[in-house]
Formats: sequence, C-alpha cells, structure tokens
Amino acid sequence: MKKTIILFAMVGLANLAIAQKKQTTTSATINFDATTSIDALPKAENKTVIASLDTKTGNVAFESVIKSFAFTNPRIQEHFNGDKWMDSDKFPTATFTGKIGDINAVNFKKDGTYNVAVMGDLTLHGVTKPVTTKAVITVVGKLISTKTDFTIALADYGVNGGAIAAGKVATNPKISVMADFK
Amino acid sequence: MQTTNKKPFLKKILLIILCLMVVAGVAIYFIFTEKFEDTGKEEAAYTIAANDLIKEFQENDSLANIKYVEKIILVNGKIAETETADTSVNIKMIDTLTGSYIIFAFQEQHIKAAKQLKEGDMVSIKGSCSGGTYSKILETEFISFKRCAVNK
Repeated sequence: MKKTIILFAMVGLANLAIAQKKQTTTSATINFDATTSIDALPKAENKTVIASLDTKTGNVAFESVIKSFAFTNPRIQEHFNGDKWMDSDKFPTATFTGKIGDINAVNFKKDGTYNVAVMGDLTLHGVTKPVTTKAVITVVGKLISTKTDFTIALADYGVNGGAIAAGKVATNPKISVMADFK
Repeated sequence: MQTTNKKPFLKKILLIILCLMVVAGVAIYFIFTEKFEDTGKEEAAYTIAANDLIKEFQENDSLANIKYVEKIILVNGKIAETETADTSVNIKMIDTLTGSYIIFAFQEQHIKAAKQLKEGDMVSIKGSCSGGTYSKILETEFISFKRCAVNK
C-alpha cells in the first residue's frame, strides 16, 4: 500500500513538472530608440532584463530596471532618468505581463520560425496600458529565441518632457525586445 | 561725425555676438559628442565582495540604492553563470542560499575580455551600478550593473 502511494505521488510530481513549462532568463535585451532628425542621441539598450515564457500557457512577462538602460552620452542618460522624462527614482521599473495568442501553433519540439501575436499590459512611468504586438519565435533545438518590435506613444504614459515637445525626442519611440530561453 | 562713432560700436556688438555663437557652438559640440569614459580607466567609489553587496541590498535596498546607484563599484566574486545577451555576454554572481544575484553587462570595448571568462572563475568586475530591486518574476533580489569592465 505504501509503495502504491509513493508511486502515485511520484507520478503526480512528474506530471506537475511537465505542466509547469515556465522558462526564464535574466539577460533579455530591450533596445530603446527615440532618435529624431535633429537628435541622434536618445538611444539606449538594457541587456539585463528579466523575462519569462510559459510554453504551455503562453504567458509571458518582462521586468526592466529603468536605470539599466545604457546610453553612450552621459547627459542624455541623466535626462532620461530625470523627473521630466522617466523619473526612474519614483518609477524604477517597467514591466510587461501578457500572453501569446495561439501558443498551440508553436511546436517547441520542432525547429522552426513561428509568427505570433502577443497581448498584454505594459507598465511604464507608473501608467499601465494594453499593448498588442507581433512577435517571432525561433526554435533551434533547446534554444527558444523571441523577438518583437513595437512603438509606444510616450504621452500615453504621462511622459511629456520639454525635449519631446522640442522634437529632440521621438513622440513614438521604437522598442525592440529580444529574449533567449535555453 | 555721428556715423563714425556708431561704426566701432556696431563692430563691438557684432564681435561679441560672434564670440557668443562660437562659445555656444563649441559647448553644443561637446555636449553632443560627449561619451562615457572607459570604465576600465575610472576609479571605483567602493570595492566590495559580491556576497557582501547582495547582503546589503537584501537588508535594505532603499539605503543600498542611495549609496551605490550610478557609482562605479569594483565587485570581487566567483562567476556563477555566463549568459549571452544579444551579441554580448552577461556575467552573474549568485548567493546560493537565497538565489539573489548580481548581473554585469559590459561596455563595448570590454565584451571580448568578458567572453573569455568562465563559470567558476574568481574575478574583479568594475561597473556602474544601476541599483537593486526585488523581481516578482524570479521572486528574488537582484542588482544590475552596466558599462562594466573586467578589472586587470
């Protein structure tokens, strides 16, 4: 009887492990490009973004520390973190929680490239807004690479600094997100 | 007579305007072309062991952020993981008891040296501290660094 209970418990644990397909990385990358024709400097990247992907449910999440965005120019980085722009002392992180539309269309056991839609909530500068974007998932062996490009309207997130009004910072910067799960 | 008096005055005004324009132009040029220094050549504000730094953030990350953020810190520790990040590589030092970690992203000119590092290596890494916070995804404290250099 004891052996049977232990066997059932082991099977139960194994099933739980299979059901939980959440993969994580601490080295996802976000590129931020708010350059304009009169200013090529508002451009940065954050290479230490935390990301998770649940290959079973399609749930995805990202966490990005605003101060981790590295600019080449010190003054622009200071402005980016300042209270007239991202106000990173008050709002230190940006997050995204969402879902891949048709996760069952992606065969994570077969090499290939899959185009998917991602829907979710982006929280930036203390404001949460729904975001829908297209993404590409590439499967090569055990490596799952994901990539998406989209734009956001800074005004939607309450970012209305003088530099934006003066045309030095794009009103709709381009955001690229890349995450590899192994 | 009046005309001859006005001319030198106008000349002076034009010269002052010209000088101001040159100064403004030079200032704008420096602002727009200014770049962060090579971290490898910068002096560290603090030198600390990885586990001690993690402990400080775990105990009170608000205080630790005030102390370390945007400062150049030299961290000594053992490499727990290396992770590819786009075309670059990130180095991680982990507190094995709690799972809390420090992650280092490298300055362009130091990526090649970072790629030579392996798990288990004892290293000193110098970089700009971006601060520490609690990750809801990983349910642990993490501290991130940018513009890092392998200290030689």
